[in-house]
Amino acid sequence: MSDTVTLTIDGQQVTVPKGTNVLEAARSLGNDISAFCYHPGLPIVAQCRQCLVSIEKNPKLQPSCQQVCGDGMVVHTKDPQSTLARKQQLEFTLLNHPIDCPICDKAGECTLQKLYFDHDNENSRVDVPKVHKDKVVDVGPHIVLDQERCILCSRCIRTCDEVAGQHQLEFANRGDHEVLTTAPGEQLDNPYSINTVDVCPVGALTAKDFRFTMRAWELEATPSICNGCGTGCNIEIHHKQGRAWRLVPRHNPDVNKYWMCDEGRFTYHALREQRLASALVDGLPSTWDRAVTNAAKRLGVFLKDASQIGVVLSAQHSNEDNFALAQLAKQWGVKQVYLAGRPPVPARADGKLRVADVNPNTSGAKAIAEALGLGVVQAFQIDASAASTLRALVVLGDTFTGLTEGKLREIDLITISAFERGPVAHAKVALPAAAWAENAGTVTNVQGRVQRMHAAFAPPGNAIPAWEAIVRLAHATGVKLAWTHAREVFKDMTAAVPAWKELTWAREARPLALRFAGSRG
Amino acid sequence: MATESLKQLVLGRKDVQDLSDTETDLPPDLMTVNMGPSHPAMHGTVRIVLTVDGERIVKSDVQPGYLHRCFEKESEHATYTQVFPYTDRLNYVSPMINNVGWAMAVEKIMGLTPQIPKRVEYIRVIVSEMSRLTDHLTCVGASAMELGAFTAFLYFLKAREWLYELLEVVSGARLTHSYVRVGGVAKDLPEHFHTELTTCLDKIAGVMVEVEVMLNNNKIFRDRMAGVGAMTKEDAIATGCVGPIARACGVDYDVRRDHPYSVYPEVEFDVPLGTHGDCYDRYLVRIEEMKQSIRILRQCLRQIPAGPTMVDDPRVALPPKRDTYNTIESMIRHFKHIMDGIRVPPGEAYTFVEGGNGEVGFFIVADGTGRPYKAYCRSPSFVHLSTSSQLIHNHLIADVVPIFGMINMIGGECDK
Amino acid sequence: MAKQILDALAAKFAHAVERTESNFGDEVAWIKRENLVEVAKWLRDEQGFAFPVFCTCIDRLDWKPIGLPPSEHWNESKPRFEIAYQLRSLKNQRIRLKVAVTEADPRVQSLAELWPAFNWQERETFDMYGIRFDGHPDLRRIYLYEEFVGYPLRKDYPKEKRQPLVRRDDLILNPLKKEVR
Repeated sequence: MSDTVTLTIDGQQVTVPKGTNVLEAARSLGNDISAFCYHPGLPIVAQCRQCLVSIEKNPKLQPSCQQVCGDGMVVHTKDPQSTLARKQQLEFTLLNHPIDCPICDKAGECTLQKLYFDHDNENSRVDVPKVHKDKVVDVGPHIVLDQERCILCSRCIRTCDEVAGQHQLEFANRGDHEVLTTAPGEQLDNPYSINTVDVCPVGALTAKDFRFTMRAWELEATPSICNGCGTGCNIEIHHKQGRAWRLVPRHNPDVNKYWMCDEGRFTYHALREQRLASALVDGLPSTWDRAVTNAAKRLGVFLKDASQIGVVLSAQHSNEDNFALAQLAKQWGVKQVYLAGRPPVPARADGKLRVADVNPNTSGAKAIAEALGLGVVQAFQIDASAASTLRALVVLGDTFTGLTEGKLREIDLITISAFERGPVAHAKVALPAAAWAENAGTVTNVQGRVQRMHAAFAPPGNAIPAWEAIVRLAHATGVKLAWTHAREVFKDMTAAVPAWKELTWAREARPLALRFAGSRG
Repeated sequence: MATESLKQLVLGRKDVQDLSDTETDLPPDLMTVNMGPSHPAMHGTVRIVLTVDGERIVKSDVQPGYLHRCFEKESEHATYTQVFPYTDRLNYVSPMINNVGWAMAVEKIMGLTPQIPKRVEYIRVIVSEMSRLTDHLTCVGASAMELGAFTAFLYFLKAREWLYELLEVVSGARLTHSYVRVGGVAKDLPEHFHTELTTCLDKIAGVMVEVEVMLNNNKIFRDRMAGVGAMTKEDAIATGCVGPIARACGVDYDVRRDHPYSVYPEVEFDVPLGTHGDCYDRYLVRIEEMKQSIRILRQCLRQIPAGPTMVDDPRVALPPKRDTYNTIESMIRHFKHIMDGIRVPPGEAYTFVEGGNGEVGFFIVADGTGRPYKAYCRSPSFVHLSTSSQLIHNHLIADVVPIFGMINMIGGECDK
Repeated sequence: MAKQILDALAAKFAHAVERTESNFGDEVAWIKRENLVEVAKWLRDEQGFAFPVFCTCIDRLDWKPIGLPPSEHWNESKPRFEIAYQLRSLKNQRIRLKVAVTEADPRVQSLAELWPAFNWQERETFDMYGIRFDGHPDLRRIYLYEEFVGYPLRKDYPKEKRQPLVRRDDLILNPLKKEVR
């Protein structure tokens, strides 16, 4: 028994793994059969009838999403019979669709638009009034439903069932009065609810967060990793002119499949809050040169006895940033480093995508410190005896809570952070760093998987990637770190950490203009 | 008598004679002179670093690029329809021809070429030939002016303005028309266009007779043009010259005749050829081409049929406004056309038309999205300018002006 | 008739021609890099392809054509650049010679010696794509200034990127300066 089957689609032979459906087999040939209800991450229901194809020796047209490939099967997707069937099906779907494109949030990334434009492109033949249903139905804390636009594909119902495991949406009524609605006594309030917006092929479900803020086709997509927790969901940052407008999940079969949680989606808001755009010396804006010289002068006093210097790595920052700082600490002669991060939230863990650790890179930072032979202490609270010897502290990130405010003010505190909060307020010298979305680098999730983030846009003001700030600080204190690109930090890092030996640096991703991405949906 | 006395006066003065140069007075070494990038006699912004031995050019380095507007990069980030305004700004004295070239290139990849309605083809030929007239009028007029014949310049620019006004009525813009669309043209010709163009052509023919009388046998004009900047036929071929410049050298090639496109096979015209390949021949070829253009235009006006001005294909034709607002199908199609652009299937094609200066080509690589993956423009000005260093070699600095005038370097097209 | 030239080419230079195709009236022949000059010379001298039309380059980095299988998409194992030379014959046939070169070694033998027309066209291709033309008499930037960093028509050069003009002392701005003074 072989594990593959070979079939013929439109005269082209294709070999696929056993169990693949015809639709996926055709897609592997670049033949995009139109479909609404089929989603590779959801159970197949074959209810939109949009993917009908003819299969030889089969009297009726078959939905290609449900039809499993058989050996020697001969499929026609471009024959007159199935083409006509699909065209007519689209005509039916469009029959009661409102003329909402100019005000619809989905316009530009709408599957209905895409399929009509690619597969039908015929004029309307009917002139009867459309059936009207409810618009602007508030179905949950994050979602608004427009029943008129719904084409009844049931993707959202299945998403709630499968991803969140909660049955919160249902169909009601029959015929052309059939509508999508919430299940009795339910609200669409599961922690994965916005995935229904992503899978919605039309603009029926829209996220309140993104609604009426930005036209989808004007955005550009840059692949990255969600900063919200240790799962490290693969995402795309959708941004325009240096500002992120939403985060959407990116397919990764080993991490997050097609999904991500609502909380993770909102992390982009923080990118514009309390940003530090200029170096600060004693709380006053300064140039980079002055700030770095000042910091080096303060640190220089203690460099003879490095035990007076505390170094805090950050579970919020990338591997490269942490590696640069750990390397610097080692060169200074520091024996152990602290690791700061947001405190865990045990209630979050649900056995699906959400985990208790709300830092994206705890395991990465730990692995780096260990590989460099530095002791790691979780720095939620530094004990008093250790704190009493500290004279200077170099902190990466803004989540350090290990010392009291009084103590922080007392010592020479130098921070490298994207945000002006937490310990940064008490810093003698604060260096501005790029936030996660502005940074090219890698993070390591709870599984130990090292994943690549790409810089979506430039950091504000004088901020630079944290590893680069650390290199400048190192030079000022007389330590030579010769990196000029995150790629070089990565190269040295993978050489130092045994488990990461095989990793290679992927080519920088270029922002993808969504309007020219062949329309998604 | 007055001249005689003036000569005596001058000759009689010792200081004037002292100022006259003699061979021995000239410095023996070579001198570097910058001509341009902003120079009244350079048609565009082009810089020439001349090394001169006295007045004689011994070496030159022609440096284009001062008008580089990233045509290709911009086109790669715009929909196929949005590229039309960029093509306007390539050869900005004959924008219609570029419009037509771009439209034909996209139609070629889409396989639309055979379906283009006859009326569209005729309109395209009409506006192309009008553009060719404006191109040659500008070139010849400006060159004549630079040699001192200001009257010819004024006459020709006046004639050009008649055509521009007419093109403005057709397209809505005097210079940057953006009139052609993929699959057709933006709108039909206006009312009374036939009579107005006929009147205009009559007037232009009259102006041309006047200017020819002024220039053709004008001693100054001939002395400055004849034998200046000559190129052999072989050189013209090897350097890739096309259009009037190649034809002045005797290269018998005209895209309209040798690679017939649009409705050029249905009209009669001759391709004038020169023999010497010098500036004067280029001038004569251009003058003759204008006459041929007028001839083509008159035939087109007689032959143009009625009919639609857009191909009936939902892939490229916008739905009527009334349907757009009232049916979801047309709304989607309109939306997709405007926002995502016309979908051009993957493939690559090189399409070329006879522009004012010769073969203007667009090499498009399409990847199935609404924007070109690559949009290369083969601009004749660029090729012609590359020969200029050779053409001005061993000539006087003053000869640079007529040579550049007759090369007709258009900055927008050369620098892209 | 147009196909004949491809057949003749494939017969004469079986070792040099990788594949041929015809699209939209243009004959395209993929030539091995090392054989480009001999093929071009043969086409010019014996087949009458005397007219040079254009030379350009295609950067395949973002090549993901819609409607074609993923195997057609560009990936790191394929050569990134395609250099295209378009020629026209006395009988008005057209042929496009293509040479694929990798990102690591973007070099090809210059045809500027065969056709002076390609002198500037190759300079333009060098300027915009960073393709090195070996044997080119004067390979300088043509549109951009000498100090420009990067190659703007490569797909990984962002359209919005701005570069201030920074004078670099190590460059001789005027090529004639040396010789004249």
